[in-house]
Amino acid sequence: MENTSVKEPMVHTGSTNPVNSAFASHFAKSMFLTVSGLVILSFVATRMFTHVDLNLYGYMVGTVVFLAGFFYRFISWGERPPTKILIKKGLKLLFRRSTLKTSVEHLATYRFIWNRGVYRWTQHLLIGWGCVLAILVTFPLVFGWMYFTMEESGYYTIVALGMNVMTVPADGIIAFLSYNALNISAIMVIAGVCMALYRRLKNMQARAEQTFMYDFMPLYLLLFVSITGLLLTFINVFLHGNGHYVMSLIHQYSVIVTLIYLPFGKLAHIPFRPVSVFARNYREHYGKESMKECKVCGTEFVSTEQSNDVINVLGQNDLEFDMKDGFNLAELCLPCRRKYRISKFSGFATHEVPIKEANQDAKG
Amino acid sequence: MTKRRLFLELENCIGCRSCLAACTQCGGHEQRNRNYVYDVNPLVNRQTMPLMCLHCVDPACARSCPAQAIQIHETGAVLSALTEKCIGCQNCTIACPYGIPKFDEEQNLMYKCDLCIDRTKDDIPPMCASVCPSNTLQWLTEEEIEEKQQRHDLGNDKWVTSMPYLEGETNVKINLPGILEGTTKLF
Repeated sequence: MENTSVKEPMVHTGSTNPVNSAFASHFAKSMFLTVSGLVILSFVATRMFTHVDLNLYGYMVGTVVFLAGFFYRFISWGERPPTKILIKKGLKLLFRRSTLKTSVEHLATYRFIWNRGVYRWTQHLLIGWGCVLAILVTFPLVFGWMYFTMEESGYYTIVALGMNVMTVPADGIIAFLSYNALNISAIMVIAGVCMALYRRLKNMQARAEQTFMYDFMPLYLLLFVSITGLLLTFINVFLHGNGHYVMSLIHQYSVIVTLIYLPFGKLAHIPFRPVSVFARNYREHYGKESMKECKVCGTEFVSTEQSNDVINVLGQNDLEFDMKDGFNLAELCLPCRRKYRISKFSGFATHEVPIKEANQDAKG
Repeated sequence: MTKRRLFLELENCIGCRSCLAACTQCGGHEQRNRNYVYDVNPLVNRQTMPLMCLHCVDPACARSCPAQAIQIHETGAVLSALTEKCIGCQNCTIACPYGIPKFDEEQNLMYKCDLCIDRTKDDIPPMCASVCPSNTLQWLTEEEIEEKQQRHDLGNDKWVTSMPYLEGETNVKINLPGILEGTTKLF
Protein backbone atom coordinates (compact mmCIF):
# COMPACT_ATOMS: atom_id res chain seq x y z
CA MET A 1 0.00 0.00 0.00
CA GLU A 2 2.78 2.41 0.90
CA ASN A 3 4.54 1.81 -2.40
CA THR A 4 1.50 2.44 -4.53
CA SER A 5 0.59 5.52 -2.56
CA VAL A 6 3.92 7.14 -3.39
CA LYS A 7 3.31 6.73 -7.11
CA GLU A 8 -0.29 7.83 -6.93
CA PRO A 9 -0.06 11.63 -7.04
CA MET A 10 -3.54 12.25 -5.66
CA VAL A 11 -2.83 10.40 -2.42
CA HIS A 12 -0.71 12.33 0.01
CA THR A 13 2.37 10.91 1.64
CA GLY A 14 0.83 10.43 5.04
CA SER A 15 -1.08 7.46 3.67
CA THR A 16 0.05 4.99 6.32
CA ASN A 17 -2.80 6.73 8.09
CA PRO A 18 -5.77 4.32 7.75
CA VAL A 19 -8.18 7.19 7.05
CA ASN A 20 -6.22 8.18 3.94
CA SER A 21 -5.87 4.67 2.60
CA ALA A 22 -9.63 4.23 2.82
CA PHE A 23 -10.12 6.58 -0.13
CA ALA A 24 -9.22 6.19 -3.77
CA SER A 25 -8.21 9.82 -4.12
CA HIS A 26 -7.78 13.10 -2.34
CA PHE A 27 -10.93 14.25 -4.12
CA ALA A 28 -13.02 11.32 -2.85
CA LYS A 29 -11.79 11.90 0.69
CA SER A 30 -12.51 15.63 0.66
CA MET A 31 -15.94 15.09 -0.84
CA PHE A 32 -16.86 12.33 1.62
CA LEU A 33 -15.70 14.22 4.68
CA THR A 34 -17.37 17.47 3.66
CA VAL A 35 -20.71 15.95 2.71
CA SER A 36 -20.68 13.84 5.88
CA GLY A 37 -19.90 16.95 7.89
CA LEU A 38 -22.83 18.77 6.30
CA VAL A 39 -25.21 15.89 7.01
CA ILE A 40 -24.08 15.51 10.63
CA LEU A 41 -24.32 19.25 11.26
CA SER A 42 -27.79 19.29 9.72
CA PHE A 43 -28.84 16.26 11.75
CA VAL A 44 -27.84 18.00 14.97
CA ALA A 45 -29.05 21.45 13.97
CA THR A 46 -32.48 20.37 12.70
CA ARG A 47 -33.11 18.25 15.79
CA MET A 48 -32.87 14.96 13.93
CA PHE A 49 -34.26 16.32 10.65
CA THR A 50 -37.51 17.55 12.19
CA HIS A 51 -37.01 21.15 11.05
CA VAL A 52 -35.83 20.83 7.45
CA ASP A 53 -37.09 23.53 5.10
CA LEU A 54 -37.74 21.35 2.06
CA ASN A 55 -38.62 24.42 0.04
CA LEU A 56 -34.85 24.91 -0.16
CA TYR A 57 -33.79 21.40 -1.13
CA GLY A 58 -32.68 22.58 -4.59
CA TYR A 59 -29.97 24.60 -2.89
CA MET A 60 -28.77 21.48 -1.06
CA VAL A 61 -28.32 19.61 -4.33
CA GLY A 62 -26.69 22.71 -5.82
CA THR A 63 -24.26 22.91 -2.91
CA VAL A 64 -23.14 19.31 -3.33
CA VAL A 65 -22.55 19.86 -7.07
CA PHE A 66 -20.68 23.04 -6.20
CA LEU A 67 -18.49 21.12 -3.73
CA ALA A 68 -17.60 18.58 -6.41
CA GLY A 69 -16.51 21.36 -8.77
CA PHE A 70 -14.73 23.19 -6.00
CA PHE A 71 -12.68 20.21 -4.86
CA TYR A 72 -11.88 19.20 -8.43
CA ARG A 73 -10.58 22.69 -9.18
CA PHE A 74 -8.90 23.27 -5.85
CA ILE A 75 -7.09 19.93 -5.71
CA SER A 76 -5.79 20.10 -9.27
CA TRP A 77 -4.67 23.66 -8.54
CA GLY A 78 -2.97 22.55 -5.31
CA GLU A 79 -1.01 19.90 -7.21
CA ARG A 80 0.96 22.53 -9.14
CA PRO A 81 4.50 22.63 -7.71
CA PRO A 82 4.55 26.32 -6.64
CA THR A 83 1.05 26.11 -5.15
CA LYS A 84 1.89 22.96 -3.24
CA ILE A 85 4.93 24.57 -1.64
CA LEU A 86 3.05 27.72 -0.72
CA ILE A 87 0.10 25.88 0.80
CA LYS A 88 2.35 23.52 2.76
CA LYS A 89 4.55 26.28 4.18
CA GLY A 90 1.61 28.65 4.57
CA LEU A 91 -0.25 26.17 6.78
CA LYS A 92 2.86 25.72 8.89
CA LEU A 93 3.16 29.49 9.37
CA LEU A 94 -0.54 30.07 9.95
CA PHE A 95 -0.20 30.86 13.64
CA ARG A 96 2.00 33.92 13.36
CA ARG A 97 1.10 36.99 15.32
CA SER A 98 0.54 39.03 12.15
CA THR A 99 -1.86 36.52 10.58
CA LEU A 100 -4.95 38.16 12.03
CA LYS A 101 -4.00 41.65 10.87
CA THR A 102 -3.01 40.42 7.41
CA SER A 103 -6.22 38.41 7.07
CA VAL A 104 -8.37 41.39 8.00
CA GLU A 105 -6.54 43.63 5.57
CA HIS A 106 -6.58 41.12 2.72
CA LEU A 107 -9.94 39.45 3.19
CA ALA A 108 -12.18 41.89 5.06
CA THR A 109 -11.17 45.49 4.47
CA TYR A 110 -9.43 44.96 1.10
CA ARG A 111 -6.77 47.55 1.85
CA PHE A 112 -4.82 46.66 -1.30
CA ILE A 113 -7.87 47.41 -3.43
CA TRP A 114 -8.21 50.78 -1.68
CA ASN A 115 -4.72 51.47 -2.97
CA ARG A 116 -5.89 50.64 -6.49
CA GLY A 117 -8.66 53.21 -6.25
CA VAL A 118 -11.50 54.23 -3.94
CA TYR A 119 -14.15 53.56 -6.57
CA ARG A 120 -12.94 50.01 -7.12
CA TRP A 121 -12.70 49.49 -3.39
CA THR A 122 -16.29 50.64 -2.86
CA GLN A 123 -17.69 48.38 -5.55
CA HIS A 124 -15.66 45.43 -4.29
CA LEU A 125 -16.71 46.04 -0.69
CA LEU A 126 -20.39 46.16 -1.69
CA ILE A 127 -20.22 43.05 -3.86
CA GLY A 128 -17.91 41.13 -1.54
CA TRP A 129 -19.68 41.79 1.72
CA GLY A 130 -23.09 41.56 0.05
CA CYS A 131 -22.21 38.06 -1.11
CA VAL A 132 -20.68 37.05 2.24
CA LEU A 133 -23.74 38.26 4.10
CA ALA A 134 -26.04 36.42 1.70
CA ILE A 135 -23.99 33.22 2.06
CA LEU A 136 -23.99 33.50 5.85
CA VAL A 137 -27.78 33.72 5.83
CA THR A 138 -28.66 31.35 2.99
CA PHE A 139 -26.63 28.27 3.81
CA PRO A 140 -27.55 28.05 7.50
CA LEU A 141 -31.19 28.25 6.39
CA VAL A 142 -30.70 25.64 3.65
CA PHE A 143 -29.07 23.10 5.94
CA GLY A 144 -31.26 23.98 8.93
CA TRP A 145 -28.34 25.32 10.98
CA MET A 146 -30.55 28.28 11.75
CA TYR A 147 -34.32 28.57 11.85
CA PHE A 148 -37.08 30.43 13.61
CA THR A 149 -39.90 29.10 15.77
CA MET A 150 -42.77 30.95 17.36
CA GLU A 151 -43.72 29.40 20.65
CA GLU A 152 -45.38 32.46 22.04
CA SER A 153 -47.43 34.67 19.76
CA GLY A 154 -45.51 37.76 18.71
CA TYR A 155 -42.10 36.40 19.66
CA TYR A 156 -39.67 34.53 17.44
CA THR A 157 -37.12 32.16 18.87
CA ILE A 158 -33.92 32.02 16.83
CA VAL A 159 -32.59 28.46 16.83
CA ALA A 160 -28.92 28.01 15.84
CA LEU A 161 -27.42 24.51 15.62
CA GLY A 162 -30.42 23.13 17.47
CA MET A 163 -30.07 25.48 20.40
CA ASN A 164 -32.47 28.27 21.31
CA VAL A 165 -30.24 31.30 21.06
CA MET A 166 -32.63 34.13 21.76
CA THR A 167 -36.26 35.14 21.70
CA VAL A 168 -36.97 38.41 19.99
CA PRO A 169 -40.18 40.41 19.46
CA ALA A 170 -41.50 39.78 15.94
CA ASP A 171 -41.64 43.51 15.22
CA GLY A 172 -38.27 44.32 16.82
CA ILE A 173 -35.07 45.46 15.19
CA ILE A 174 -33.26 42.09 15.31
CA ALA A 175 -36.23 40.37 13.75
CA PHE A 176 -36.45 43.12 11.12
CA LEU A 177 -32.77 42.69 10.21
CA SER A 178 -33.22 38.90 10.06
CA TYR A 179 -36.16 39.10 7.68
CA ASN A 180 -34.41 41.64 5.52
CA ALA A 181 -30.81 40.40 5.62
CA LEU A 182 -31.10 38.98 2.11
CA ASN A 183 -32.82 42.13 0.85
CA ILE A 184 -30.02 44.24 2.28
CA SER A 185 -27.35 42.01 0.77
CA ALA A 186 -29.18 42.05 -2.58
CA ILE A 187 -29.21 45.85 -2.58
CA MET A 188 -25.50 45.91 -1.71
CA VAL A 189 -24.68 43.50 -4.53
CA ILE A 190 -26.87 45.34 -7.04
CA ALA A 191 -25.25 48.67 -6.16
CA GLY A 192 -21.75 47.13 -6.36
CA VAL A 193 -22.42 45.34 -9.63
CA CYS A 194 -23.87 48.51 -11.18
CA MET A 195 -20.73 50.40 -10.16
CA ALA A 196 -18.59 47.63 -11.64
CA LEU A 197 -20.58 47.59 -14.87
CA TYR A 198 -20.37 51.37 -15.13
CA ARG A 199 -16.60 51.19 -14.68
CA ARG A 200 -16.32 48.50 -17.32
CA LEU A 201 -18.33 50.59 -19.76
CA LYS A 202 -16.53 53.89 -19.13
CA ASN A 203 -12.97 53.09 -18.06
CA MET A 204 -10.72 52.88 -21.12
CA GLN A 205 -8.28 50.68 -19.28
CA ALA A 206 -10.94 48.15 -18.36
CA ARG A 207 -12.36 48.30 -21.87
CA ALA A 208 -8.99 47.42 -23.33
CA GLU A 209 -8.71 44.15 -21.48
CA GLN A 210 -12.16 42.85 -20.59
CA THR A 211 -13.95 39.94 -22.24
CA PHE A 212 -17.62 39.10 -21.99
CA MET A 213 -17.27 35.59 -20.62
CA TYR A 214 -14.60 36.32 -18.05
CA ASP A 215 -15.45 39.81 -16.82
CA PHE A 216 -19.10 40.50 -17.58
CA MET A 217 -20.80 37.15 -17.11
CA PRO A 218 -20.03 36.84 -13.37
CA LEU A 219 -21.41 40.36 -12.87
CA TYR A 220 -24.57 39.53 -14.81
CA LEU A 221 -24.96 36.30 -12.82
CA LEU A 222 -24.71 38.18 -9.52
CA LEU A 223 -27.11 40.81 -10.81
CA PHE A 224 -29.59 38.15 -11.91
CA VAL A 225 -29.42 36.39 -8.54
CA SER A 226 -29.90 39.64 -6.63
CA ILE A 227 -32.74 40.96 -8.78
CA THR A 228 -34.72 37.71 -8.76
CA GLY A 229 -34.18 37.54 -4.99
CA LEU A 230 -35.46 41.08 -4.50
CA LEU A 231 -38.38 40.33 -6.82
CA LEU A 232 -39.46 37.58 -4.41
CA THR A 233 -39.83 40.21 -1.68
CA PHE A 234 -41.53 42.56 -4.13
CA ILE A 235 -44.01 39.86 -5.14
CA ASN A 236 -44.84 39.06 -1.55
CA VAL A 237 -45.25 42.66 -0.44
CA PHE A 238 -46.93 44.25 -3.43
CA LEU A 239 -48.48 41.46 -5.53
CA HIS A 240 -49.97 39.36 -2.73
CA GLY A 241 -47.61 36.54 -3.64
CA ASN A 242 -48.75 36.25 -7.27
CA GLY A 243 -46.04 34.44 -9.21
CA HIS A 244 -44.05 33.62 -6.09
CA TYR A 245 -43.51 29.95 -6.99
CA VAL A 246 -42.26 30.65 -10.50
CA MET A 247 -39.97 33.38 -9.25
CA SER A 248 -38.62 31.27 -6.40
CA LEU A 249 -37.70 28.55 -8.92
CA ILE A 250 -36.04 31.09 -11.23
CA HIS A 251 -34.11 32.47 -8.27
CA GLN A 252 -33.14 28.98 -7.14
CA TYR A 253 -31.83 28.07 -10.59
CA SER A 254 -29.89 31.34 -10.85
CA VAL A 255 -28.19 30.68 -7.51
CA ILE A 256 -27.35 27.08 -8.38
CA VAL A 257 -25.88 28.04 -11.77
CA THR A 258 -23.78 30.74 -10.11
CA LEU A 259 -22.60 28.27 -7.47
CA ILE A 260 -21.60 25.69 -10.03
CA TYR A 261 -19.76 28.33 -12.07
CA LEU A 262 -18.04 29.80 -9.01
CA PRO A 263 -14.88 27.62 -8.80
CA PHE A 264 -14.04 28.01 -12.49
CA GLY A 265 -14.22 31.62 -13.57
CA LYS A 266 -13.44 34.99 -12.11
CA LEU A 267 -15.39 34.21 -8.94
CA ALA A 268 -12.86 31.47 -8.15
CA HIS A 269 -10.80 34.13 -6.42
CA ILE A 270 -13.28 34.01 -3.53
CA PRO A 271 -12.22 30.55 -2.25
CA PHE A 272 -8.59 30.94 -3.44
CA ARG A 273 -7.85 34.39 -2.13
CA PRO A 274 -6.95 33.37 1.46
CA VAL A 275 -3.70 32.03 0.01
CA SER A 276 -2.55 35.66 -0.20
CA VAL A 277 -2.32 35.58 3.60
CA PHE A 278 -0.09 32.51 3.26
CA ALA A 279 2.06 34.37 0.76
CA ARG A 280 2.48 37.36 3.06
CA ASN A 281 3.36 35.15 6.05
CA TYR A 282 5.78 33.18 3.90
CA ARG A 283 7.59 36.30 2.78
CA GLU A 284 7.66 37.88 6.25
CA HIS A 285 8.75 34.76 8.12
CA TYR A 286 11.51 33.61 5.80
CA GLY A 287 12.55 37.20 5.15
CA LYS A 288 13.36 37.56 8.86
CA GLU A 289 15.07 34.20 8.94
CA SER A 290 17.66 34.93 6.29
CA MET A 291 17.88 37.11 3.22
CA LYS A 292 19.55 36.27 -0.04
CA GLU A 293 22.30 38.59 -1.19
CA CYS A 294 22.59 39.39 -4.87
CA LYS A 295 25.61 37.55 -6.28
CA VAL A 296 26.71 40.68 -8.12
CA CYS A 297 25.92 43.75 -6.03
CA GLY A 298 25.25 42.20 -2.61
CA THR A 299 21.82 43.76 -2.11
CA GLU A 300 19.44 41.66 -0.04
CA PHE A 301 16.46 41.22 -2.33
CA VAL A 302 14.52 38.08 -1.31
CA SER A 303 14.48 35.44 1.40
CA THR A 304 16.87 32.54 0.91
CA GLU A 305 13.96 30.14 1.31
CA GLN A 306 11.95 31.71 -1.50
CA SER A 307 14.94 31.89 -3.81
CA ASN A 308 15.57 28.16 -3.26
CA ASP A 309 11.88 27.32 -3.64
CA VAL A 310 11.64 29.15 -6.96
CA ILE A 311 14.79 27.47 -8.30
CA ASN A 312 13.36 24.13 -7.18
CA VAL A 313 9.97 24.76 -8.80
CA LEU A 314 11.58 25.84 -12.05
CA GLY A 315 13.73 22.70 -11.94
CA GLN A 316 10.56 20.61 -11.76
CA ASN A 317 9.45 22.36 -14.93
CA ASP A 318 12.77 21.70 -16.69
CA LEU A 319 13.81 25.32 -16.47
CA GLU A 320 17.42 25.69 -15.36
CA PHE A 321 19.02 29.10 -15.25
CA ASP A 322 22.49 28.18 -14.01
CA MET A 323 24.98 30.49 -15.69
CA LYS A 324 28.56 29.74 -16.65
CA ASP A 325 29.54 32.70 -14.46
CA GLY A 326 28.80 30.49 -11.46
CA PHE A 327 25.37 31.65 -10.35
CA ASN A 328 21.73 30.91 -10.95
CA LEU A 329 19.79 33.81 -12.43
CA ALA A 330 17.41 33.68 -9.46
CA GLU A 331 20.37 34.66 -7.28
CA LEU A 332 20.74 38.08 -8.89
CA CYS A 333 18.68 41.05 -7.78
CA LEU A 334 16.35 42.34 -10.47
CA PRO A 335 18.41 45.31 -11.72
CA CYS A 336 21.52 43.13 -11.85
CA ARG A 337 19.63 40.41 -13.69
CA ARG A 338 18.50 42.92 -16.31
CA LYS A 339 22.01 44.36 -16.66
CA TYR A 340 23.39 40.84 -16.93
CA ARG A 341 21.07 40.27 -19.90
CA ILE A 342 22.33 43.48 -21.52
CA SER A 343 25.84 42.14 -21.01
CA LYS A 344 24.86 38.96 -22.84
CA PHE A 345 23.61 41.07 -25.74
CA SER A 346 26.56 43.45 -25.96
CA GLY A 347 29.47 41.40 -24.74
CA PHE A 348 30.32 44.10 -22.20
CA ALA A 349 29.82 43.28 -18.51
CA THR A 350 27.26 46.01 -17.76
CA HIS A 351 26.26 44.36 -14.49
CA GLU A 352 29.75 44.80 -13.10
CA VAL A 353 29.72 48.58 -13.50
CA PRO A 354 28.73 49.79 -10.04
CA ILE A 355 26.19 52.36 -11.21
CA LYS A 356 22.53 52.33 -10.29
CA GLU A 357 20.07 51.96 -13.12
CA ALA A 358 18.72 55.37 -14.08
CA ASN A 359 15.75 56.82 -15.93
CA GLN A 360 13.67 53.66 -15.86
CA ASP A 361 10.36 55.20 -14.84
CA ALA A 362 8.58 57.35 -17.33
CA LYS A 363 5.96 59.62 -15.80
CA GLY A 364 2.77 58.97 -17.71
CA MET B 1 -4.51 37.78 -40.51
CA THR B 2 -0.75 37.97 -40.63
CA LYS B 3 0.83 37.18 -37.33
CA ARG B 4 3.59 39.59 -36.53
CA ARG B 5 6.18 39.60 -33.82
CA LEU B 6 8.07 42.20 -31.87
CA PHE B 7 11.62 42.32 -33.19
CA LEU B 8 14.49 44.10 -31.46
CA GLU B 9 17.50 45.49 -33.31
CA LEU B 10 19.36 46.39 -30.19
CA GLU B 11 22.17 48.54 -31.53
CA ASN B 12 19.76 51.01 -33.14
CA CYS B 13 18.73 52.30 -29.73
CA ILE B 14 19.47 55.99 -29.15
CA GLY B 15 18.26 56.05 -25.55
CA CYS B 16 15.37 58.45 -26.10
CA ARG B 17 13.08 56.39 -23.85
CA SER B 18 10.09 56.99 -26.08
CA CYS B 19 9.20 53.34 -25.55
CA LEU B 20 8.99 53.88 -21.79
CA ALA B 21 6.74 56.91 -22.20
CA ALA B 22 4.55 55.15 -24.76
CA CYS B 23 4.24 52.13 -22.50
CA THR B 24 2.64 54.26 -19.78
CA GLN B 25 -0.09 55.29 -22.22
CA CYS B 26 -1.27 51.80 -23.16
CA GLY B 27 -4.72 50.69 -22.08
CA GLY B 28 -4.36 48.64 -18.93
CA HIS B 29 -0.93 49.94 -18.02
CA GLU B 30 -2.17 52.42 -15.40
CA GLN B 31 0.37 55.07 -16.39
CA ARG B 32 3.28 52.84 -15.42
CA ASN B 33 5.88 51.62 -17.85
CA ARG B 34 6.88 47.98 -17.90
CA ASN B 35 10.00 48.14 -20.05
CA TYR B 36 13.60 49.23 -19.52
CA VAL B 37 16.40 51.06 -21.33
CA TYR B 38 19.96 50.46 -20.19
CA ASP B 39 23.27 52.17 -20.73
CA VAL B 40 25.58 49.44 -21.93
CA ASN B 41 28.75 51.01 -20.58
CA PRO B 42 27.53 54.07 -18.71
CA LEU B 43 30.92 55.54 -17.74
CA VAL B 44 32.40 55.29 -21.20
CA ASN B 45 29.86 55.83 -23.98
CA ARG B 46 26.22 56.56 -24.74
CA GLN B 47 25.19 53.24 -26.27
CA THR B 48 21.87 52.12 -24.86
CA MET B 49 19.75 49.02 -25.32
CA PRO B 50 16.12 48.42 -24.52
CA LEU B 51 14.99 45.44 -22.49
CA MET B 52 11.43 44.24 -22.27
CA CYS B 53 9.55 41.05 -21.65
CA LEU B 54 10.59 38.60 -24.35
CA HIS B 55 7.40 36.55 -23.98
CA CYS B 56 8.95 33.13 -23.46
CA VAL B 57 7.26 30.16 -25.06
CA ASP B 58 7.65 28.37 -21.71
CA PRO B 59 7.52 31.30 -19.30
CA ALA B 60 9.26 30.84 -15.95
CA CYS B 61 7.07 33.51 -14.35
CA ALA B 62 3.86 31.62 -15.12
CA ARG B 63 5.45 28.30 -14.13
CA SER B 64 6.38 29.68 -10.73
CA CYS B 65 3.06 31.41 -10.06
CA PRO B 66 1.12 29.59 -7.31
CA ALA B 67 -2.12 31.35 -8.22
CA GLN B 68 -2.17 30.82 -11.99
CA ALA B 69 -2.43 34.58 -12.25
CA ILE B 70 -0.13 34.83 -15.28
CA GLN B 71 -2.01 33.69 -18.35
CA ILE B 72 -0.67 33.13 -21.84
CA HIS B 73 -2.69 34.68 -24.63
CA GLU B 74 -3.42 32.70 -27.79
CA THR B 75 -1.04 35.04 -29.66
CA GLY B 76 1.76 33.81 -27.37
CA ALA B 77 1.90 36.99 -25.26
CA VAL B 78 2.54 36.32 -21.58
CA LEU B 79 0.03 38.55 -19.87
CA SER B 80 0.34 40.69 -16.77
CA ALA B 81 -1.04 39.14 -13.56
CA LEU B 82 -4.80 38.95 -13.30
CA THR B 83 -5.64 41.47 -10.60
CA GLU B 84 -8.06 39.24 -8.75
CA LYS B 85 -5.74 36.22 -8.76
CA CYS B 86 -2.32 37.70 -7.97
CA ILE B 87 -1.59 36.92 -4.31
CA GLY B 88 1.55 39.02 -4.09
CA CYS B 89 4.12 36.27 -3.45
CA GLN B 90 6.57 37.71 -5.99
CA ASN B 91 7.72 34.29 -7.17
CA CYS B 92 7.51 35.58 -10.75
CA THR B 93 10.02 38.35 -10.11
CA ILE B 94 12.49 35.81 -8.76
CA ALA B 95 11.82 33.27 -11.52
CA CYS B 96 12.07 35.54 -14.57
CA PRO B 97 15.52 35.03 -16.12
CA TYR B 98 15.49 38.61 -17.41
CA GLY B 99 14.18 40.36 -14.27
CA ILE B 100 11.17 41.87 -16.02
CA PRO B 101 8.12 41.69 -13.72
CA LYS B 102 7.56 44.69 -11.46
CA PHE B 103 5.79 44.57 -8.14
CA ASP B 104 3.59 47.15 -6.46
CA GLU B 105 3.78 46.69 -2.68
CA GLU B 106 0.87 49.02 -2.00
CA GLN B 107 -1.51 47.27 -4.36
CA ASN B 108 -0.04 43.84 -3.61
CA LEU B 109 0.07 43.24 -7.33
CA MET B 110 2.60 42.23 -9.94
CA TYR B 111 2.57 43.96 -13.32
CA LYS B 112 4.56 43.30 -16.45
CA CYS B 113 4.61 43.83 -20.21
CA ASP B 114 1.55 42.27 -21.81
CA LEU B 115 2.73 43.19 -25.32
CA CYS B 116 -0.18 45.70 -25.36
CA ILE B 117 -2.50 42.80 -25.87
CA ASP B 118 -5.49 45.00 -26.70
CA ARG B 119 -3.50 46.20 -29.72
CA THR B 120 -1.41 43.19 -30.72
CA LYS B 121 -4.34 40.78 -30.65
CA ASP B 122 -5.60 42.77 -33.67
CA ASP B 123 -2.10 42.89 -35.17
CA ILE B 124 -1.60 46.55 -34.25
CA PRO B 125 1.98 47.10 -33.09
CA PRO B 126 2.55 47.50 -29.34
CA MET B 127 2.98 51.06 -28.05
CA CYS B 128 6.76 50.80 -27.76
CA ALA B 129 7.22 49.65 -31.37
CA SER B 130 4.70 52.26 -32.59
CA VAL B 131 6.76 55.15 -31.28
CA CYS B 132 10.35 53.92 -31.60
CA PRO B 133 12.06 56.56 -33.77
CA SER B 134 15.17 54.54 -34.52
CA ASN B 135 13.71 51.21 -35.63
CA THR B 136 15.03 49.46 -32.55
CA LEU B 137 11.61 48.04 -31.83
CA GLN B 138 9.85 46.70 -34.89
CA TRP B 139 6.65 44.83 -35.54
CA LEU B 140 7.44 42.34 -38.30
CA THR B 141 6.04 39.31 -40.07
CA GLU B 142 7.89 36.01 -40.03
CA GLU B 143 9.02 36.64 -43.63
CA GLU B 144 10.48 40.03 -42.79
CA ILE B 145 12.39 38.55 -39.88
CA GLU B 146 13.61 35.77 -42.20
CA GLU B 147 14.74 38.38 -44.73
CA LYS B 148 16.68 40.28 -42.08
CA GLN B 149 18.32 37.07 -41.05
CA GLN B 150 19.46 36.39 -44.61
CA ARG B 151 20.81 39.93 -45.01
CA HIS B 152 22.96 39.47 -41.93
CA ASP B 153 23.74 35.81 -42.44
CA LEU B 154 27.49 35.65 -42.41
CA GLY B 155 27.69 31.89 -42.34
CA ASN B 156 29.72 32.06 -39.16
CA ASP B 157 26.89 31.35 -36.69
CA LYS B 158 27.03 34.95 -35.54
CA TRP B 159 23.39 35.65 -36.41
CA VAL B 160 21.02 34.86 -33.64
CA THR B 161 17.42 35.75 -33.24
CA SER B 162 16.77 34.41 -29.79
CA MET B 163 18.80 31.30 -29.19
CA PRO B 164 21.34 30.52 -27.85
CA TYR B 165 21.93 33.84 -26.13
CA LEU B 166 18.61 33.71 -24.35
CA GLU B 167 17.49 31.18 -21.79
CA GLY B 168 14.78 29.62 -23.93
CA GLU B 169 12.66 30.10 -27.01
CA THR B 170 10.87 33.45 -27.02
CA ASN B 171 8.09 35.03 -29.02
CA VAL B 172 9.93 38.32 -29.21
CA LYS B 173 12.90 38.00 -31.55
CA ILE B 174 16.19 39.74 -30.98
CA ASN B 175 19.18 40.23 -33.19
CA LEU B 176 22.61 40.78 -31.81
CA PRO B 177 24.24 44.07 -32.66
CA GLY B 178 25.59 44.30 -36.19
CA ILE B 179 28.74 45.80 -34.73
CA LEU B 180 29.47 42.49 -33.07
CA GLU B 181 28.66 40.65 -36.26
CA GLY B 182 31.14 42.75 -38.18
CA THR B 183 28.54 44.11 -40.60
CA THR B 184 27.68 47.65 -41.56
CA LYS B 185 24.16 48.61 -40.58
CA LEU B 186 21.66 48.72 -43.43
CA PHE B 187 18.55 50.53 -42.24
